[in-house]
Amino acid sequence: MPDAALPQHTRSRLGLLFRVRGRSVWNRIIVAVREAPVRLTTAILLIGVVWIGLYGLFRFVFHQLEQTPLEAAVAVPMVFNFFFLAMLALLAFSNAIISYSALFGREESSYLLTLPVAPIDVVTLKYIESTILSSWSVVLLGMPLMFAMAELREEPTSRLLFLAFFLAFIPIPGALGLLLSWSIARFFPRNATRGVWVGAGVVLALLVVGGLRTMAPQDTDEAAEMWLHSFLSSMSFVEAAFLPNNWVAAGIDHALQGKSSTALGYLGVTIANAMFISWLVVRLVSKHFDVAYDRASASRATGSRVASNASGGIAGRVFFYLPLPLRLVAAKDLRTFFRDPAQWAQLTILFGLLVLYLTNMPTMKLGLQATGWMLMIPFLNLCAVSLILATFTCRFVFPLVSLEGQKLWLVGVLPVKRSRLLWSKLAFSMTVTLAVAVGAMGLAAAMLRMGPIWTVIHVGVTIGICFGLCGLSVGLGALLPMFDESNPARIANGLGGTTNLLISVAVVAVSLGGVLVATYRSRYLIPGTMPDAVSLSCVAGSVAVSVGAGLVALWVGGRKFDRAEV
Amino acid sequence: MNETDQTQAIELSQVYKSYGSKVAVENLTLSIPRGELFAFLGPNGAGKTTTIKMIVGLLRPTRGVVEVCGHQIALNGLAAKAKLAYVPDQPFIYEKLTGREFLYFVAEMYGLSVKARDARLERLVVELDIGEFLDQLTESYSHGMKQRVVLAGALLHDPAVLVIDEPMVGLDPRTIRVVRNLFSELTQNGGTVFMSTHILDIAEALADRIGIIHRAELIAIGTLDQLKQKAKREHSLEDIFLELTEGEHA
Repeated sequence: MPDAALPQHTRSRLGLLFRVRGRSVWNRIIVAVREAPVRLTTAILLIGVVWIGLYGLFRFVFHQLEQTPLEAAVAVPMVFNFFFLAMLALLAFSNAIISYSALFGREESSYLLTLPVAPIDVVTLKYIESTILSSWSVVLLGMPLMFAMAELREEPTSRLLFLAFFLAFIPIPGALGLLLSWSIARFFPRNATRGVWVGAGVVLALLVVGGLRTMAPQDTDEAAEMWLHSFLSSMSFVEAAFLPNNWVAAGIDHALQGKSSTALGYLGVTIANAMFISWLVVRLVSKHFDVAYDRASASRATGSRVASNASGGIAGRVFFYLPLPLRLVAAKDLRTFFRDPAQWAQLTILFGLLVLYLTNMPTMKLGLQATGWMLMIPFLNLCAVSLILATFTCRFVFPLVSLEGQKLWLVGVLPVKRSRLLWSKLAFSMTVTLAVAVGAMGLAAAMLRMGPIWTVIHVGVTIGICFGLCGLSVGLGALLPMFDESNPARIANGLGGTTNLLISVAVVAVSLGGVLVATYRSRYLIPGTMPDAVSLSCVAGSVAVSVGAGLVALWVGGRKFDRAEV
Repeated sequence: MNETDQTQAIELSQVYKSYGSKVAVENLTLSIPRGELFAFLGPNGAGKTTTIKMIVGLLRPTRGVVEVCGHQIALNGLAAKAKLAYVPDQPFIYEKLTGREFLYFVAEMYGLSVKARDARLERLVVELDIGEFLDQLTESYSHGMKQRVVLAGALLHDPAVLVIDEPMVGLDPRTIRVVRNLFSELTQNGGTVFMSTHILDIAEALADRIGIIHRAELIAIGTLDQLKQKAKREHSLEDIFLELTEGEHA
């Protein structure tokens, strides 16, 4: 029976689905305002601080570029081309993960599919929702970049144009992500997790290989110039006319030159293509959605034996130094980590990008002969690593104890004091974070040819911060648990999670402050010489603050966990 | 409901479903007429939930045809789903909506007028005793409270076919009595209930016919008396079930 002949109630229900979603969001806001006003205000303030900080940073960078107009003329379009190409890949990947979960993993999809709702309504809802979820932070944080540029060019009206470019662009990676998630469900349903792994690995490998090709250090100006020419010609593919990043970059470039009509033309091209690809992908996925859903459901019904074997062996051996009951719990957490794409994918992406950046550092001839700059760049690397670690521990380590609460009937009867279980959580989180963080800092040291003294200092501080952040998240997770919540994201976003985030950021700030003082005091030292006693004391203080914060949190959390009634 | 045609409420013809090499349902043929309460029994992993998911359109049969009120679910899913209501064993409910907002959403989804919705809802609120918490966010509900609101949502549009998986889990004895009465009333008005349960007493007391699926195959179907004859014993449904599915843990 064609749709036109169906009763009234089987027509499109997209408006109703959006109204319900809007109502849910409104209710969530009301609850947040009523029950956690401090948290909400803090979050808004923090976002504001980050936004203003980024705006200031971008203004400074663009101002510096303005001092060398010839270089700026070449660099700015290239930077935007790369920026939007990277956004295309990252947002498509991020959207694929969110779309897969929303369409094939959530109870809501199953529920909606039993109602008289056309699949195209469900797919459209999830496509728009996933695109917003994966892109809002990019738009929010990309806006200061655009605004700073508009400010510098004294073209206030172009702010709206820049924002329009952002908004017009994001549906394109959104549609690509939707197509990718549907393809995984449709063609690789039994290996969806592995598919994401392989996809992420291939993308990162390509990026790192691309980075390695360009990483040979350039010691002379001539060599650097030749390298730059070679690099620009090898990267010319990013300016291919069919790539969306090029439309946006070219549009922004024309807007900056005051050619508004050409810029609007590019904006029109971007909007038209975004609408076309969205329409095409949503129609395609909707038409074959039931087959993909059926295959994804079937794969869940039969389970995944391969993942079990792959991660089980590693998890069983890594924690050999722990007593048996604690080893079992830590190994269980590591297995869970390996089997949860949300955890490893975020860590892989964040540190993958960091590795990409680090491998390209030696090619940047930025006048790093001065000791100050030679120390400042590694310090900024340390900041990046620390903040990524804080994000990871607050999102994934903090909920561990709360999630254990629901299984306390099992873990709680193990022949071991309950607070000692926190050490197994610490062992698990330290294992994961140390592996990636120390690896990244070691790579940074090698790429920047840091001497042994500062390598030891930076790696030592990284280890201290790892311990501090893991200890804080485990300890505060036990002190402020949400035992009745099974969703780790909600646990991380709760009052305890927010408190943990703020304390973690504060501890990182204090620790990095000590290193910053040492870096500043050593700016005129001959490379390879030992920093003075005050500097070393500051570094030691940094490590002590991190470790102390972790230990205190573990002690306080352990006492609470021993007495907890679940 | 107001269905006057003579098509079966649920019709499965030679339905086969496999997950790779694992056969979940083997050539299942089943006709359930309008006005019948059908209890679908079987040990864990026998194929009950897979069958239910094929009836409500969540899964596609590898082979065979599933029809609801004369509409093939694979070809004309929207028309079939408009006649259906489905309550899974772990029902979904929007946690940031109140119970009333959720029920309004369901009513609008099925195209109920405001007048019809309010009249129907007023009765269900009293019968299922959900008025006290209907204006609270559902995230604060206990399992039983959620189950009652979801049941109200399923019955709100007066479905021709109610498919329900483990309907009594999490309900208190008083609500169980109410639900039994609602099922009886639905079938007396020409509606059909397809119920999967492990509570054999309820199946014995309520069902017009009982089907037992075992290792993906329908091994017995009929009224309680017919099953007793098949088992050649004058025992309870529990004894018959255990005998027919010997060696399995129900």
